[in-house]
Amino acid sequence: MSALAATTPLLAVRGVRAAYGKIEALKGVDVEINRGEIVALIGANGAGKSTLMMTIFGRPRARAGTIEYDGHDITGVPTHEIARLRIAQSPEGRRIFPRMSVAENLQMGADATECSEAEREAGLERVFALFPRLKERIAQRGGTLSGGEQQMLAIGRALMSRPRLLMLDEPSLGLAPLIARQIFDAIRTLNRQDGLTVLIVEQNANHALKLAHRGYVMVNGLITLTGTGSELLQRPEIRAAYLEGGRHG
Amino acid sequence: MSATSARPSHAAQPSGSAFILKKALISAAVALVLFSLMIGIRTEAGPQGGLIYWTRFGDLAALVGTVFGGSIIIELLRQWWGPIDTDHIVPKPVQAAMSFAGRWLAPALLVFAFLVPVIFYNQRYILDLSILVLTYVMLGWGLNVVVGLAGLLDLGYVAFYAVGAYSYALLATNFGLSFWVCLPLAGILAAFWGVLLGFPVLRLRGDYLAIVTLAFGEIIRLVIINWQSLTGGPNGVSGIPRPTLFGIPLDNSDDGLAAKLGIDFSPTHRIVFLFYLILAMALLTNWVTIRLRRLPIGRAWEALREDEVACRALGINVTTTKLTAFATGAMFGGFAGAFFATRQGFISPESFTFQESALVLAIVVLGGMGSQLGVALAALTMIGGFELFRGFDQYRMLVFGIAMVLLMIWRPRGLIGHRAPTVYLERNQAISSDLVKEGHG
Repeated sequence: MSALAATTPLLAVRGVRAAYGKIEALKGVDVEINRGEIVALIGANGAGKSTLMMTIFGRPRARAGTIEYDGHDITGVPTHEIARLRIAQSPEGRRIFPRMSVAENLQMGADATECSEAEREAGLERVFALFPRLKERIAQRGGTLSGGEQQMLAIGRALMSRPRLLMLDEPSLGLAPLIARQIFDAIRTLNRQDGLTVLIVEQNANHALKLAHRGYVMVNGLITLTGTGSELLQRPEIRAAYLEGGRHG
Repeated sequence: MSATSARPSHAAQPSGSAFILKKALISAAVALVLFSLMIGIRTEAGPQGGLIYWTRFGDLAALVGTVFGGSIIIELLRQWWGPIDTDHIVPKPVQAAMSFAGRWLAPALLVFAFLVPVIFYNQRYILDLSILVLTYVMLGWGLNVVVGLAGLLDLGYVAFYAVGAYSYALLATNFGLSFWVCLPLAGILAAFWGVLLGFPVLRLRGDYLAIVTLAFGEIIRLVIINWQSLTGGPNGVSGIPRPTLFGIPLDNSDDGLAAKLGIDFSPTHRIVFLFYLILAMALLTNWVTIRLRRLPIGRAWEALREDEVACRALGINVTTTKLTAFATGAMFGGFAGAFFATRQGFISPESFTFQESALVLAIVVLGGMGSQLGVALAALTMIGGFELFRGFDQYRMLVFGIAMVLLMIWRPRGLIGHRAPTVYLERNQAISSDLVKEGHG
């Protein structure tokens, strides 16, 4: 990595390897995310996209390489403390708390970081402005929401911790195209209006690359291609693998 | 009874008298085959050592008849109730009555509890029973923190009850410490053991956790039995001091409470005192739990029950969250144990068998995991019910088994499965979450 970049990236993943038992899922990954960027990570099932996101959070731990956040090495920091550095995650499969109300789910996001009452209120206002549906459903149990609403709740919950870096794992998974577009629009709004840095892991390469400033393509635990979103969209191998041949829905 | 009285059922399910009769006949035939040898013929060794036998066709016929009739009744009930998954529309007046009962049941129970010693002053049996019920209410509320809120299945809860009881018994008999000094100590010691249990099981969930906690409960009991020099082994500890009202004994002596107040001494005074003591301790448990639920730690417990991975992603320290749940639950178990020791005056390992753990767990599950009122109601029914059916002795467990199975079919989430949210952002919305069915995707 050259040290020519004018500013240090917000997140720098360097040569990271991670494994589940003997199966190596990441085989030396380099990814950089600059402040105010939307970065998309695309790849097929089992390429290691989700593992990379989880490894940034320390589960599983990186066996080699370093992860730097805002200039600090966070490779060995416990998971719950990483979240307190204001890196928020909307995990794969949404994972909202089904028996708790929408209000409680959102409060859970705010609980981990010490925030004042005013900051909490402001966070709620922001979430409701992005996803008015959540305000309508505030007293309902999380498990009673539709899939799209649950995704909104998962993102809203992550936003309640006032993150500087938001990591989203497959936010469009299993959603109708119209709802998926709403989710992507909300991410764009967050990036443009609040300057939020976003890492988005997606199989829906078309949507993700159109949204992202830059993208990385991951195959079998390695980054094989990188470039701006529009560059990657033009690449014939990307079109063949993820857009035309491989419509995963 | 005519089969046509059954309500029309769903189209997919066959109904009608022919179907019911056929089913009942098949059941009866199976019963006939099964019981013909078991019941129908009785063999015994004769006086000369030969085998003699005689027939009991009357009993057999009665049994087969019972199966036939029972099969019809069960089928009718099933058709009347409909398939298990359907939603039953509850009529408006019933709904209103139920919400009224729901709002006033807890305060009414509380008032009644306070009045029990007044109403039943002369009925020692009822007072003793109430104290027993309240002890289990407290144990249930304590275990509810671990099982109901944090979702950690603990089958060895009786261990903490035992730690609390032995802490008080040994501290009081060896060092002459008073109940009020020992009570917090018993809680602290039990909480300490709770953390000790918590550490090795941090990574375990569900069935694996249950097995380890079960073993932990047995270990504590076996240590108590075998550590004769300290605990007296199977002989237990006797002569445990009775509690005092902040130093004033409740006995017949000159400086007893009765003498000081200038009233006639009665042994009931002590029972009434014990009653209010356990009531206060149980209410304290309840109050602390309700308060904790509204704090981040309580919310973290509940979130942990729902989804551990999501909790980690949100920056919750899963380790401390689990350990505090174990410690809090264990502490209340320890308090209850200390009370048990002072009430009995004598404790032995026999009081702390797995059966106690199972009973408390049954109370929590039947009451509806996480519901404070449900746990109290379940303790009342279970312990009170046990006593009511004392006369039926050998059928007692049978009746209880059937009642539990039926309750779990009728209300799979326990008596009170509803969970009250703890965060309100605005006044309640019109749509109650209970009216909306859970959906995925």
